[in-house]
Amino acid sequence: MAESSDLDRQIEQLKKCEIIKEAEVKALCAKAREILIEESNVQRVDSPVTVCGDIHGQFYDLKELFKVGGDVPETNYLFMGDFVDRGFYSVETFLLLLALKVAFLLDIYECMNFNFSLYNFIVYVLSQVRYPDRITLIRGNHESRQITQVYGFYDECLRKYGSITVWRYCTEIFDYLSLSAIIDGKIFCVHGGLSPSIQTLDQIRTIDRKQEFKIFDFLSIKVLHTSRLMMQVPHDGPMCDLLWSDPEDTQGWGVSPRGAGYLFGSDVVAQFNSANDIDMICRAHQLVMEGYKWHFNETVLTVWSAPNYCYRQCGNVAAILELNEHLQRDFTIFEAAPQESRGIPSKKPQADYFL
Amino acid sequence: MAASDSNTDDSLYPIAVLIDELKNEDVQLRLNSIKKLSTIALALGVERTRSELIPFLTETIYDEDEVLLALAEQLGTFTPLVGGPEFVHCLLPPLESLATVEETVVRDKAVESLRNIASQHSPADLEEHFVPLVQRLASGDWFTSRTSACGLFSVCYPRVSPAIKAELRNHFRSLCQDDTPMARRSAASKLGEFAKVVEIEYLKSDLIPMFVILAQDEQDSVRLLAVEACVSIAALLQQEDVEQLVMPTLRQCASDQSWRVRYMVADKFTDLQKAVGPEITKTDLVPAFQVLLKDIEAEVRAAAADKVRDFCQNIDQVNQEFIIMTNILPIVKELVADPNQHVKSALASVIMGLSPILGKHNTIEHLLPLFLSQLRDECPEVRLNIISNLECVNEVIGIQQLSQSLLPAIVELAEDSKWRVRLAIIEYMPLLAGQLGVEFFDEKLNSLCMTWLVDHVYAIREAATLNLKKLVEKFGPDWAQNTVIPKVLAMSRDQNYLHRMTCLFCINVLAEVCGPEITTKVMLPTVLTMATDNVANVRFNVAKTLQRIGPFLEPSAVQTQVKPILDKLNTDSDVDVKYFASEAIAGIAGNHIAVLYRKNIFFILFIKM
Repeated sequence: MAESSDLDRQIEQLKKCEIIKEAEVKALCAKAREILIEESNVQRVDSPVTVCGDIHGQFYDLKELFKVGGDVPETNYLFMGDFVDRGFYSVETFLLLLALKVAFLLDIYECMNFNFSLYNFIVYVLSQVRYPDRITLIRGNHESRQITQVYGFYDECLRKYGSITVWRYCTEIFDYLSLSAIIDGKIFCVHGGLSPSIQTLDQIRTIDRKQEFKIFDFLSIKVLHTSRLMMQVPHDGPMCDLLWSDPEDTQGWGVSPRGAGYLFGSDVVAQFNSANDIDMICRAHQLVMEGYKWHFNETVLTVWSAPNYCYRQCGNVAAILELNEHLQRDFTIFEAAPQESRGIPSKKPQADYFL
Repeated sequence: MAASDSNTDDSLYPIAVLIDELKNEDVQLRLNSIKKLSTIALALGVERTRSELIPFLTETIYDEDEVLLALAEQLGTFTPLVGGPEFVHCLLPPLESLATVEETVVRDKAVESLRNIASQHSPADLEEHFVPLVQRLASGDWFTSRTSACGLFSVCYPRVSPAIKAELRNHFRSLCQDDTPMARRSAASKLGEFAKVVEIEYLKSDLIPMFVILAQDEQDSVRLLAVEACVSIAALLQQEDVEQLVMPTLRQCASDQSWRVRYMVADKFTDLQKAVGPEITKTDLVPAFQVLLKDIEAEVRAAAADKVRDFCQNIDQVNQEFIIMTNILPIVKELVADPNQHVKSALASVIMGLSPILGKHNTIEHLLPLFLSQLRDECPEVRLNIISNLECVNEVIGIQQLSQSLLPAIVELAEDSKWRVRLAIIEYMPLLAGQLGVEFFDEKLNSLCMTWLVDHVYAIREAATLNLKKLVEKFGPDWAQNTVIPKVLAMSRDQNYLHRMTCLFCINVLAEVCGPEITTKVMLPTVLTMATDNVANVRFNVAKTLQRIGPFLEPSAVQTQVKPILDKLNTDSDVDVKYFASEAIAGIAGNHIAVLYRKNIFFILFIKM
């Protein structure tokens, strides 16, 4: 009965680290947009769920992550952004995650085509109401037109497709990705951290996220369309802060060496957590050698899911945080996929900036 | 039909096209045509093939390498097409040209074809046509032809007159002393096969001096080929001749300054051992082997370590144990701690084989400590090589001894921090289970297998699930029901949804091997209770499991128990649960229809009979 749909084929193809056709990317992004546009800026996620940090186009290490954590849809996942840039396979990585996200919704459309009974048909129509998905993707600071033009995703799309059309499709989706998530109302997940302009989750909910965020133009060296971007007033709004900030062992707010976002101290976190009745903030954004790192008496957690970041340069391990339905925490550490299970990269990695 | 009134000219038309294409400018078309050369020849008939096609082909020798390679190959099978063995010599001119071209692949193929057709020549033709060709090639100006010549001596030598034999030997001798290393390499590589066809007195007088010279060549690439020839030559000689004529050279090769030559000696060591016999093995090869096992180059040590078992096995029974214990084992002990992991890994793959040779006492006293330290080696490959060869030790010292000494190390490995090591151990569990038997397994390893089911790495849980199935295949459904299934079913109440799903995954595979009764009576009730799990992932996996185990259930249970639960899941609040429930309903209905359909067919057949 269940014929394998186009999307199943595309997922199989992407799982083998093969790119899909430009037209297929377009269709996939269109469907993803329909789902993502409905998601809140603070997307509600139910436990149990496995929380993951930066991936950065390390496709074979993402497959390793699924080996360790289990496959979709059996295991629920929340990815906290930075899917692209730096690694050799940003295109395959982002499209695979996106395809897994829309897969189950699409299967229902497929079944409608093969409908075998009116009863089931009605059930499917009823099921159009949105339910928590098996995989949640939120936005990282690299999911941006500006950043991807410097750190690899733009060049990779151009190289693999011969044009920037796919980059355009994907960056448009970036604008629709949710900014944060809240697990069972208790664990707040965001790529970077907090913002001085945000005290409550409701304030995040009111942001109009469907836009490219602007950051200080410290990347002016290589950015394309430089003149146009430079003309714009540097903008360091709350949306940008959520994706760029870092925790720091101080009190109050500090200037971030990244040139965007802020450094936030333990008192800021205590204030935010109590105001919003949450237990902890879970974030990614910073390389940590052990894969995860606690801050501020276990009120902030950094999770990093790109083992041996930048390929043999960092030697770090990666981690995922498995939360069961009682929000009990279990970290699983994993290392880079063994050399023999990787394809041969077609290009050297991008230049370094701060890690 | 059109074919019925076609005349012979029409049927020759495709052939004309093929011949035309032999001259085409497009390489691909010429290549296609060459590959169909036998068709052309068949159409032309033997006469015209000899008088027209072969001379034409001889002229086209200046073509692309690809075309030439195809041509060289084709000509080796052309004898029937030129009129049989009587005319086979007419193939020699094109092959002679091909044997002189610059591209090695083409030359080698031409030599191969020449070797094939040599046996089809009569002795007279051989002397009249083939030998002159060999001589021309052997004295050619360019090294390519001389290189090709080396491979042709052994195929014509046995069937020519003594005078010509003498000439051939002289030619071969001069090739062995050729100016170019390429020709000397070729001569060295063919020395062994030529030695086999040369009379023993000439072997000693003509070829062995050449062997000695080649083994001292300035190029190590020549010297290492002489090692190969050494094996063939030694096998042809009497013991005292080997001692006198071959051993000095072999000793020298074993301590050659080039590691590639020493590697070759190590690699051929057991062949050499068989060729020289037990006495020389004892006096010469044992010391040489000791030196190779201690070589400064890891590649050489690894090649020698790889031969430890075979070498020891082939030592003369009388002295076997003494030689191994006093000469080999002390060095093997050192190799266990070798700094290079390839050496350790090579040794680990064969070391267990010493156990049957040395017997129970020596194994326990001397080998077990080595196995133990290898089981704890930092390199996973070493550990695995030991695990995968446990069987032969088991046969010697018995399961009791083995369990006391080695099992703790295996258990330690089963809890290795690297999940890929754990994975590899799991994959050996069915093998171990087979070797150790059910009682021992239950006592020592069963709990381990159950622990893997709740490993925090999914890949391990998955492998552990498959492992269970294989164990049940070995030990049977009753064993499953008593030992495994209760523990699996208990997992359905685990705190963690991932482990509750593992319970379902286990049931998926156990149903296949446990049969309908156990599946329906023991496992199905648990699956059905899990349909009310709080976590959607568990509920939709209940649907998947029900679909999967449907064919292994008692048919009555499908309708009375499975169907109602699936219907309920089909109205679940979670979209994925509904989706998989409807899939399962359709799947089970499909199965049901298939069963009915099969029954129907039997029914129809029955009526017809």
